[in-house]
Amino acid sequence: MDYLALIAYGILNMLFVLLISPLFISLIKIVKAHAQKRKGPPLLQTYRNLAKLLKKETVYSSNSSWIMRATPLVNVAAILVASLFVPMIIIPQPTDLVGNIILFLYLLAMAKFFMALSGLDAGSTFGGMGSSREMAISALIEPVVIVVFAAMAFAFKTINLPDMFRDALASNVLIDPVIILISISLFIIIIVESARVPVDNPETHLELTMIHEAMILEQSGKNLAMMELSSAMKQLLLMGVLINILVPWGLTADFTPQAILISLGAFLLKAVILAVIIGLFESSCAKSRLFRLPGLFAIALFLAIITLIIEVFA
Amino acid sequence: MNIYEVLETLFEQKLNLIEGLNSELYLPLDESGLEKVLNVMNENSFELISLFCVEDFAEKGFTLFYAFEITGFEQTLIFQYALNANQAPSIAKTFPSACWYEREITDGFGIEFQGAFDTRRLFLHETYPKDFHPLLKSFKNGPIETAPPSEQNDYVFKQVEGDGVYQIPVGPVHAGIIEPGHFRFSVIGEAIFNLEVRLFYKHRGLEKLAEGMAPQDCVRIAESISGDETVANAVAYCIAVEKICGLSIPKRALQLRTVLMELERVYSHLGDLAGMCVDVAYPVGASPFFILREEIFRHNEALTGSRFMKDTFAVGGLTKDVPAGALQNLSVYLKGFPDRFGVATAIDNSYFSVIDRFETTGRVKPEILWPLHITGPVARASGKRTDTRIDHPYGMYGELKLKQKTQTNGDVFARFNLKAAEVLDSIKIIQKIMSELASGEVFAPFQIRDGYVLSMVEAPRGQNVHWVNIKNGLVDRYKVRTASFCNWQAMEHAVLGNIVPDFPLINKSMNLSYAGTDM
Repeated sequence: MDYLALIAYGILNMLFVLLISPLFISLIKIVKAHAQKRKGPPLLQTYRNLAKLLKKETVYSSNSSWIMRATPLVNVAAILVASLFVPMIIIPQPTDLVGNIILFLYLLAMAKFFMALSGLDAGSTFGGMGSSREMAISALIEPVVIVVFAAMAFAFKTINLPDMFRDALASNVLIDPVIILISISLFIIIIVESARVPVDNPETHLELTMIHEAMILEQSGKNLAMMELSSAMKQLLLMGVLINILVPWGLTADFTPQAILISLGAFLLKAVILAVIIGLFESSCAKSRLFRLPGLFAIALFLAIITLIIEVFA
Repeated sequence: MNIYEVLETLFEQKLNLIEGLNSELYLPLDESGLEKVLNVMNENSFELISLFCVEDFAEKGFTLFYAFEITGFEQTLIFQYALNANQAPSIAKTFPSACWYEREITDGFGIEFQGAFDTRRLFLHETYPKDFHPLLKSFKNGPIETAPPSEQNDYVFKQVEGDGVYQIPVGPVHAGIIEPGHFRFSVIGEAIFNLEVRLFYKHRGLEKLAEGMAPQDCVRIAESISGDETVANAVAYCIAVEKICGLSIPKRALQLRTVLMELERVYSHLGDLAGMCVDVAYPVGASPFFILREEIFRHNEALTGSRFMKDTFAVGGLTKDVPAGALQNLSVYLKGFPDRFGVATAIDNSYFSVIDRFETTGRVKPEILWPLHITGPVARASGKRTDTRIDHPYGMYGELKLKQKTQTNGDVFARFNLKAAEVLDSIKIIQKIMSELASGEVFAPFQIRDGYVLSMVEAPRGQNVHWVNIKNGLVDRYKVRTASFCNWQAMEHAVLGNIVPDFPLINKSMNLSYAGTDM
């Protein structure tokens, strides 16, 4: 029975992330467009783009190897598996099977590693440039991510994400200062990992300034759709971590339709608010100079270290 | 001292100066004479503003024209050097800006420049046949077979070698909707230490097309040189032909031309300001500029029937008067413009993340301004006091008494601020002229005469030079040099030491035209 519930949870969570994540890509675009006094794309535009790409032919550079073909599958697969670790609306029963935070990070890292390889694989200049920049940034942001997640682990005394969420939900304290510190760090990680201003510019056509976009420049057709989808899913996963730690209210452990509906509504509302905040944040600053980015990462690192000190010594 | 005395003191001899029709001075010289005067020009840091070739000028094979600006004088000095054979001495080592001109002449006429340091082709790429020189009178305009690209006819870029050096080829096809150009970066990591720009992918043969046309019709060629410099080029051409014909146009036409020229400057600068914000990924700061620019376009359309003000200018004035209602609307609109524009610039000037990207980026250093004849806002942002409207007044600018505005840093931020200031100046000029607009005709009938003349205007991007020769009532030679032709070379220097992701911003802040360079 336990396993059945677990499998049901897994399928539901995966489907949810798969189906809902493109929504927030469009939503952030709409928020940014409104900040510029434009209308922006329709809410469902990202779905239409993905559907269009799925129908298109996939073209491979004659220089490319199996890496180019495998990367989209690896990305989608890795992120889908990672989505099992982040309960969006239902927290599964305590078990050792899912939720290890370190495995979660490694899944994301694997997806990124393959993406960077595929950037190099086609032999185009921009792909290589994007990969080298992405790796340079990763080398700086990954230690930060690890420290932030370590801080979370210390704060919740567990390395299991669903357990953290359950703790956060059960907590009597409305707002814990430590959680706020962690949340700011997590927000910066969302910005960096979903390639947004001031780190990267998802809307640019200027190849020379691209990071994430440059890596997937050689992807086409359904492969490109998979790459786009996996970045949308990754963004939603990280948003989910932030939401369910900072404001887990509405999250449920019950498998009743009513509880699930409330939880679903609550999550969507919170995610929409977070997406609006991300859009406004992106609109409020210009892209930073490439070599000034470590300053931004240092903020996240600094806050995480403070959290660690508080948790260990206080 | 007048210019004659100044020149005679400089050259230490009596000069056989021929006065041109637009206060330019022509001085025919032989080879030794040319060498001597060029040395003097170099010692006194006078700027070469153009170098071009004319075939069958005064019935003498090829004649080279070296046009110089004499600091402090409205007049330009043009040396005329008639060649005996298809050979001429290269002056590119003393006047680096001559490099592109000489290569251009070699492509167009097949003239060899002795001692040139760069003899690669310029506007005719290597795939064109070897003995193809389209500007020769013997060549009749028509289609031409090009060879497929191969290793033999490959363009050779400057090779930079060393540890960790690699090249980034960009273009000619770009991800955005822009014109073609190839940029070859040599970088170590992200730092650029050499850039070579290769242009001329879409040569249209406009100069050749103009030859044999009736001077009245050739205005349409002039305005097609570069879409967003329609007014500047059309007016420069019209002024040239009007000077040749000894025609002075009605006051109203003169005033309206000035209004439209300044409107062109306003929309062009607005586009640049917006573009700079977009390129640092700050579209929120760009949108107010885009909105203002669109509004100006709509006023352009109401005034002339064309957003880019095409088909508006004619030799003798304007093709048609502007509607009174449109003028009235423009004048009401401009009243609120400075405040709204001020708010727009304040947004960008108050964001540290924007200023941080603009400051110190893409510095155009003062030492390249003279040798490469850098012109327009790019030069003024680096502290060069240059503005054709002030230095060589044309149309109404003599009476307007414009004040020179410059910035000193020469970085993207300086260009941003300079262009912002120039927008407001242009608005003031438009308002002043509209308040004293004369009534009456906008076109004066005229008789075409033969002759040749140099005419210069300050286009939004800088100084445009037009040289027109009318022979037997038809255009015999039409040579245009736009500001971009000079300023493209500034970019190769401005990017050095910057990082690759800052290149698009530097490019945008200079606003260079591909079409204006490749006619």
